[in-house]
Amino acid sequence: MHDNAAHRRSARSDVNRRHRIGDRGDHFLRRVEGETGANLSACYQCERCTNACPVSAFMDVKPHQVIRYIQLGWRETLLASSTVWVCLSCEMCTTYCPNEVGVAETINHLRKMATHSTIRPKEPHLAVFHQTFLEELQRFGRVNEFWLMGALNLKPGVLKDKIRSGALRQEIELGYTLWRLGKLKLIPHRCKAVRGIRALYRNRYAEKD
Amino acid sequence: MKLAFYPGCSLEGMARDYADSIDAVFRSLEIGLVEIDDWSCCGATAAHSLSEMMAVALPARNIAAAEKMGLDVVVPCANCFNRMRFSQAMIRKGIFDVPWSVTGKTRIHDMTRFLSRDDMIEKIRRRLLRPLSGLKLISYYGCQMVRPPRITGFTDYENPQTLDRLAAAAGADVLDWSYKTTCCGASIGIGRRDIQEALTRKLLAKAVRTGADAIVVSCPLCQSNLDSIQADAGGRKLPIFYFTEVLRLALTRVGRSQRWLRTHIADPVPLLRARRLLP
Repeated sequence: MHDNAAHRRSARSDVNRRHRIGDRGDHFLRRVEGETGANLSACYQCERCTNACPVSAFMDVKPHQVIRYIQLGWRETLLASSTVWVCLSCEMCTTYCPNEVGVAETINHLRKMATHSTIRPKEPHLAVFHQTFLEELQRFGRVNEFWLMGALNLKPGVLKDKIRSGALRQEIELGYTLWRLGKLKLIPHRCKAVRGIRALYRNRYAEKD
Repeated sequence: MKLAFYPGCSLEGMARDYADSIDAVFRSLEIGLVEIDDWSCCGATAAHSLSEMMAVALPARNIAAAEKMGLDVVVPCANCFNRMRFSQAMIRKGIFDVPWSVTGKTRIHDMTRFLSRDDMIEKIRRRLLRPLSGLKLISYYGCQMVRPPRITGFTDYENPQTLDRLAAAAGADVLDWSYKTTCCGASIGIGRRDIQEALTRKLLAKAVRTGADAIVVSCPLCQSNLDSIQADAGGRKLPIFYFTEVLRLALTRVGRSQRWLRTHIADPVPLLRARRLLP
């Protein structure tokens, strides 16, 4: 008898934990549609985007599921997914969508939302790379590959992970090869208009996500 | 004829060879390239991943500088081209205010499409010094140059022809293959090397199965991805040419040092010797 009640309780909490379709309302859908201009409601789940995507095998939420999850308002699942970081913005999905849903633009927008949210990115290295790229950009006005990789390696945790996985050795070997071929520019060029670019960069934080 | 030239950050570093070959080709075609004064980075993927405003404003600065020069812009890098066209489209729609004055009237050309116009192809054919007969090439376009079509203006985005036409004009045998616009992984290798290797190896394996001697590309990142993955691979290496290098080979004399051909990880010189294109 007692066992049965406990079983029933746990079953109930399990149901509560699961997402139920339609329990979130449509405000997330309306928000994303409003901000991207993509007509996400037009999606009828033909999965053409997922079939066209070169990296869908590496995604936990597939492109067509992304659209469905937005319709259902599952914001946290989306922002914590690897999809938003793995997406290459190669625009295959957008190009082949029969209903002209801007799938790549939508995932790009979710990536921005994830950056501005407190949710920990599933692919921290890719997230920190974008950040470092913009920081290097505002330092010189142009991006220098050697300095970009250097700055990236100085970010917390990056170097440690690279040493562990052996990626650092590969990177140094490649760097040496490129230097030997004369393709590594060690001294960056500083753009004269770098002040204007820095002002832009500062204003970025004033922009709402 | 004069054009404004926006090289992009890669052409100062990893794609130095691309910049050199562009210089040589345009010199031999007698088209003047004027570098945009004090150009800055277009923001690439990072800008549009993190902030819409930056993605529009960063290229707008260079477009504004080009408008002041009053010339059409020609862009060699696929991603720079895409970002500049995107920024121009957004400014035309009036969605963002940028701190630089941009009317959005300047024409922004992708370099491959500019050179594959009928009059340019004719010009190349007339000046051909060394037809690359017997060299089997396939062309690889990547993503950013052709997609999304509403930004890039490519109508044949499923089977683009610009690089094919240029390689054919240089006298090479151009083969058809099905991975022309399949993504090479772009910058994902920095965080997830496994994904990038999977995508790039798939392309290389298909290229070998097609029977190509070399791949022709126009994007610095595609070149670097396809080339550097062959550093540790044994066996036959597939040279990855910039299309301007193919043109340079066909249009100009190659000195004894062949130094500009020796800037790739997969060295093309043995292949070119075997095809009797180099002494």
